[in-house]
Amino acid sequence: MGGVGLWSLVRFLHVTGAVLWVGGQLALSLVVLPLARRMLSEDARDRFAAEAGRRFGLLTGALFLPLQLGTGWAMAWHKGVTWASLADPGYGRTLAAKLGLFVLVMLAAAGHGIAHTRGRAELARALAVASLVGSLGVVLLAAALPAT
Amino acid sequence: MSSQVDHPAPTDARHPGGLKQPDLKTRQLRAHSVVAVWVGLALVAAGAQQTLPVARWLAVHLFLLGAATTAVMVWSEHFAVALLHARRPDERRSDARLAAVNLAVLGVLIGVWLDRPVLTGAGCVLLVAALAAHLVVLVRMGRGALGGRLARVVGFYRAAAAALIVGAVLGGLIATGHAGPRYYAGLRLAHIHVTLLGWIGLPVLGTLFMLWPTVLGVRMTERTTRVARWVLALTGGGLLTAVVALVAGRRWPAVAGVMAYAVGTVLMTTLLARTIRRRRPVSAAAAWMLGAAAGWLCAGVAADAGVLAVRPLTEAGEDFTLLVPVVIVGFVAQVLIGALTYLLPIVLTGGPRERAALRAVLELGWPARFVALNGGVALLALPLPDPVGTAGLLLAAGAGAAFLALLVRVLVRRGGGAGESPSSRRPVLLGTAGGTVLIVLAVLVANSGGGTDHPADASRAGGNGAAVTRTVDVTLAGMRIRPGRIDVTAGTELRLKVTNKDAQRHDLKVEGGPATPLLSPGQSRTLDLGPVTETRTAWCTLPGHRAAGMTMDIVVRNSTDDMAGMHDGPTAVTDDSNPDLSAGFSPGWKPRDAALAPALAGTVHRIELHAVRRTIEVAPGVRQQMWTFGGTAPGPVLHGRVGDVFEVTLVNDDPAMGHGIDFHAGSLSPDRAMRTIAPGQRLVYRFRAERAGAWLYHCSTAPMLQHMGNGMYGAVVIDPPGLPKVDHEYVLVSSELYLGTPGSAAQVAKMRQGAPDAWVFNGVAAQYAKAPLRAKAGQRARFWVVAAGPGDGIAFHIVGTVFDTVYEEGAYLVEPGRPGGSQVLGLALAQGGFVETTFPAAGHYSFIDHDMRHAEAGAMGMVEVSK
Ligand SMILES: [Cu+2]
Repeated sequence: MGGVGLWSLVRFLHVTGAVLWVGGQLALSLVVLPLARRMLSEDARDRFAAEAGRRFGLLTGALFLPLQLGTGWAMAWHKGVTWASLADPGYGRTLAAKLGLFVLVMLAAAGHGIAHTRGRAELARALAVASLVGSLGVVLLAAALPAT
Repeated sequence: MSSQVDHPAPTDARHPGGLKQPDLKTRQLRAHSVVAVWVGLALVAAGAQQTLPVARWLAVHLFLLGAATTAVMVWSEHFAVALLHARRPDERRSDARLAAVNLAVLGVLIGVWLDRPVLTGAGCVLLVAALAAHLVVLVRMGRGALGGRLARVVGFYRAAAAALIVGAVLGGLIATGHAGPRYYAGLRLAHIHVTLLGWIGLPVLGTLFMLWPTVLGVRMTERTTRVARWVLALTGGGLLTAVVALVAGRRWPAVAGVMAYAVGTVLMTTLLARTIRRRRPVSAAAAWMLGAAAGWLCAGVAADAGVLAVRPLTEAGEDFTLLVPVVIVGFVAQVLIGALTYLLPIVLTGGPRERAALRAVLELGWPARFVALNGGVALLALPLPDPVGTAGLLLAAGAGAAFLALLVRVLVRRGGGAGESPSSRRPVLLGTAGGTVLIVLAVLVANSGGGTDHPADASRAGGNGAAVTRTVDVTLAGMRIRPGRIDVTAGTELRLKVTNKDAQRHDLKVEGGPATPLLSPGQSRTLDLGPVTETRTAWCTLPGHRAAGMTMDIVVRNSTDDMAGMHDGPTAVTDDSNPDLSAGFSPGWKPRDAALAPALAGTVHRIELHAVRRTIEVAPGVRQQMWTFGGTAPGPVLHGRVGDVFEVTLVNDDPAMGHGIDFHAGSLSPDRAMRTIAPGQRLVYRFRAERAGAWLYHCSTAPMLQHMGNGMYGAVVIDPPGLPKVDHEYVLVSSELYLGTPGSAAQVAKMRQGAPDAWVFNGVAAQYAKAPLRAKAGQRARFWVVAAGPGDGIAFHIVGTVFDTVYEEGAYLVEPGRPGGSQVLGLALAQGGFVETTFPAAGHYSFIDHDMRHAEAGAMGMVEVSK
């Protein structure tokens, strides 16, 4: 019941992490990079995009990923989620689907980085968009999970 | 390419009246974009199984009626022109027919979805009209055309158009409720057969005669024309026979018709197999997929004939519902993918280099997709438990979605035009498509299996402040709907969470209200009835199930009655939580052994008892958390002789609450022995049983009403000296059962009012009615009884017997050898004793609490006496 406790803090961190990560991707691909494309010279634009991508990737690996995994794990433990319960229809399967999609999104994001360094710009771009769309799906599934 | 004459694409170019390539390309692009949209919607519907009312129906019809119909219309016209060397029909009219069909399909789908029979009917009429026009065009095209070697194939297309006309009429009758219950099963089977085997099967079979050799890159065999005639006669004639027979409800002609169709497909497949030569096919991907699809069609038709042969028509529908996904995915979807893989590069491109590039895109990763699709279908087809079937569906859906992504990529690339720079658009589109596919798959996983209360329900319940919302769990099992009756106050917003716990499929239809789709074992679905104002019934619509007893009454009480009840107090007790004692216990449930174990050896007995909470099945299908001594309620029976010492160590393993213990069998100062110990603490309780009797022990912590009412009690049996041996010796602890969260206000209110949900022997309502005690005629049995309460004593009686021995609270009241007898062992709260009787003959002897309110609410059991 009511009040702000430890677990609301954990959930706050989890939700905030997701908001910042997905929002960051959106801001980057809808605001920053298009503007850069328009306003910077070709050379500067490429460097800027690479640098921005590298920094966001670093932030993801160093901050967002551990934060999401840590708080997510803690909440699952708190809720008494077991490996077996992930297969149960309803809450378990929704959570499992969310986790699976999250892993795929992360793989796409990692693939984006790899493709970028190898100079495969089209593939990198496609993977970046897939990762962004997929993370919206993660948010959708998260919204389907009942809060407790 | 060795069979140029029969190749569809070049004929267009050669014909003087034919259209120029770009126009054709644009139209093909448009048509296939429509196909792609239908397929995408079908995947979405398949993913939304839990949230859409008719999702399964929608998924099937979006795919077959939307996507497949559009593809069949386009390609049958295209091939008819090529095969007959005929003039291309007027382009605008073709487009109009295609648009009409799509509009009609939209009408049908929306009509069924929103339950608007008029719209559905209008859609069917438009569909029939558009197809009749299509049929007329196909027939006219044959007149005066040159006619190629394979002109015969066009006969397949004409038969198919006729089949969809029949299918649309039948489907319309079913969907608008004009079929009537008597003909429903037959009409539905006829509808499925004529659409799947006719509208989709026939054109595919016909097209394969021409497509297969070109895909393989070989010349077709001489006998093709002859075989085609035979195949058309067998399949078309067989299908006509089967459909007429199914509508008329005649089983054996239907089997014969399907068999003829099967023979036709086998003939066809044999021809295809003979055509294979040792050389590289033009498109290996297309060849493998078309081949596998033909295989699934053969298997499906054979299984179909088998099902019809062994099952009465009224029951066959169920097996079909299982067969249909296999046919849809294995045959239809695979044929579509295989054919498009080969044909799209031909119709969408000009030169061979461009064609090869496009084919390379469409064949991307095809071996993996091929294995996934067919493996998935195999998993779906096999009778394996639910998770495997779901995995199969996911595999197949994944393969389909992957092709859809490739298709979208091709269409977008072709349709994009040259003006814009494709490099900026394409990755974004690709990425979006990829991400969307991932989301659809994830939602598929999330929504698979049982139901979830989706958020829309919760918000409605919260938002509507005035009405009372009630959700009732309803289970379907063993030809029963439980509960069999729901009492509600007028105006209550009622929601039924329906779960099928049976091994076979069921549904639930509420009179004049919503219905669930057919629920597979384990599936559940929530029905929202809205405010209920009048009494209604609900039932399973499967033939015979209602007659067998699958009905439920929803009884409306006036709110004035309820107001009267409210005066009892603020927490008026509702009766709707009463357990259904006629229901079955869960699988794996075991009754508590009522036999009295022999007295413990020696004179000092050391026992460790842990106070723990356990969830126990306390009534059929009702599990509830109990507070227990030793994990059971009642706790273990302690059996000894006069003079024995019991050293009981109580360990409080309850993390949240203090407990204590009180043994009535010994006399000692309560101060230390009966104190409450905190979680994690231990307490040693030592007493000497100096007197014989059946004693109560129970928790000594306040509020004792709650601690005892939640299960913290048990029996101590101290044999009187010289107690004779009997054939059977049982212990029955009688008590009350209060359902609900232990310690909650509602549950405690019931305890205070003395309004239990059930009365029980040894903790579980009606357990010995389900698992009777056993004895033989002439055998002597002793029943120890302890009244644990916490509110009611017991009048223990065994129907059909007279007690010749009654030992009550330390004294023999009746003994053998005296004239008097006894009918009841009457025990006030916390009293104990035993009775003995000899069963005179074989039969079923009920033992009950003779307070009939208690007996009818669970305090009853059975002794099954055999000879
Ligand atoms: Cu207690």
